[in-house]
Amino acid sequence: MTDDQSQGALGRRLVANMERMTRDRTAALCLENARRNVAFRDRGKSLADLRNASLGEGDSAIIIAAGPSIRRNNPIAAIKSAGYQGAIVVTESAISYCLGNGVVPDLIVTVDPNPDRIVRWFGDPNLTHDALERDDYYRRQDMDESFANEIRANERVRDLVDRHGPEMRIALSTSASESVVRRVMDTGMEIYWWNPMLDDPDEIDGMSRELYGLNRLPCVNAGGNVGSACWMMADAVLGKRHVALTGIDFAYYDDTPYAASQYYPEAVALVGEENLDQVFIRIFNPHTQSWFYTDPAYMWYREALLEMISDGECQTYNCTGGGILFGDHIEFVALEEFLEKMSERRNPHG
Amino acid sequence: MTSVLKGNFAPKKDVKPAAKEQEDLEATFEASALKRLGGSIAFVSKKRVNWDLEDK
Repeated sequence: MTDDQSQGALGRRLVANMERMTRDRTAALCLENARRNVAFRDRGKSLADLRNASLGEGDSAIIIAAGPSIRRNNPIAAIKSAGYQGAIVVTESAISYCLGNGVVPDLIVTVDPNPDRIVRWFGDPNLTHDALERDDYYRRQDMDESFANEIRANERVRDLVDRHGPEMRIALSTSASESVVRRVMDTGMEIYWWNPMLDDPDEIDGMSRELYGLNRLPCVNAGGNVGSACWMMADAVLGKRHVALTGIDFAYYDDTPYAASQYYPEAVALVGEENLDQVFIRIFNPHTQSWFYTDPAYMWYREALLEMISDGECQTYNCTGGGILFGDHIEFVALEEFLEKMSERRNPHG
Repeated sequence: MTSVLKGNFAPKKDVKPAAKEQEDLEATFEASALKRLGGSIAFVSKKRVNWDLEDK
């Protein structure tokens, strides 16, 4: 990798177009899924029923996402050791990590409309060897190693989710694919439906209003990805006032091969293997005193979440221990420090 | 410019429109990226949750 001026030049230009690119790629699919999901509306409640609900003790929450820091830092060990009683809000991609370590989350969030990939996080009952050969998305990435051995990992997740499904709540976006919705219903999770904002809901003829017209459900700004959607749930829906982030790296550790990054095939198709430094952007994290690299989508997630946090009502603590999410309005602290602070708030006299 | 260079003659020096070629290449890359990259879901700046859109 190089660190001259050409490093990430194309990537930085693409970041500016991510909003439009994402809308072009996903909006029609979101609407199609939402139309199909109208039939299942009565299988769950509205997200409005979770508004200011008493999930977890007190006014704090910990978000757990599945970024590469999870494997390196194992936040659940500290959470369990501290006896944390606040809300645990997780991305669907972190279900396996949580249940596999004996933590049943208070709320799962899912939003991505992808028809094939997302159901894998719930344990895909229809996973076949043919499907695996067509898509190396999970096998390739720098994430939970157990996902590398896919058939066995899928069976393990399926068993865990089957066992704990009835104990869990899920904020299920109407944009979710048919395979995800059917899997969620089959596991007996308590469903809370919501619409993802697809555009400005004040636009009378916009797509967000079209969604609302279908189902009259609340419309949530998901911030480009499920991790940011979790933060919005904790802040604006559950009304938590101290929210810690774990596993929200939006980046890769500098020693991670490009081939293990999420958009590697797309990046190679764009510029060729020899020019990948033009797409990937390197960023120095002053809190960890270490380098990370990111791709245009993750960089866009970072900028979006930083804006959401600056407009939010809670204090946000980044306890990821790495990655590129730092800036104004966010405290970059160790998870142990956050847990101690929350413990002191619960027991002010020790 | 292209139309001016049309004709039944061969220029002494081989003319290479290097800058434009590079621009075309980048435009092709970005057009391709439009189809293949992007996030999981939309982000709408300065918005949080709309509980009810009935009266707006």
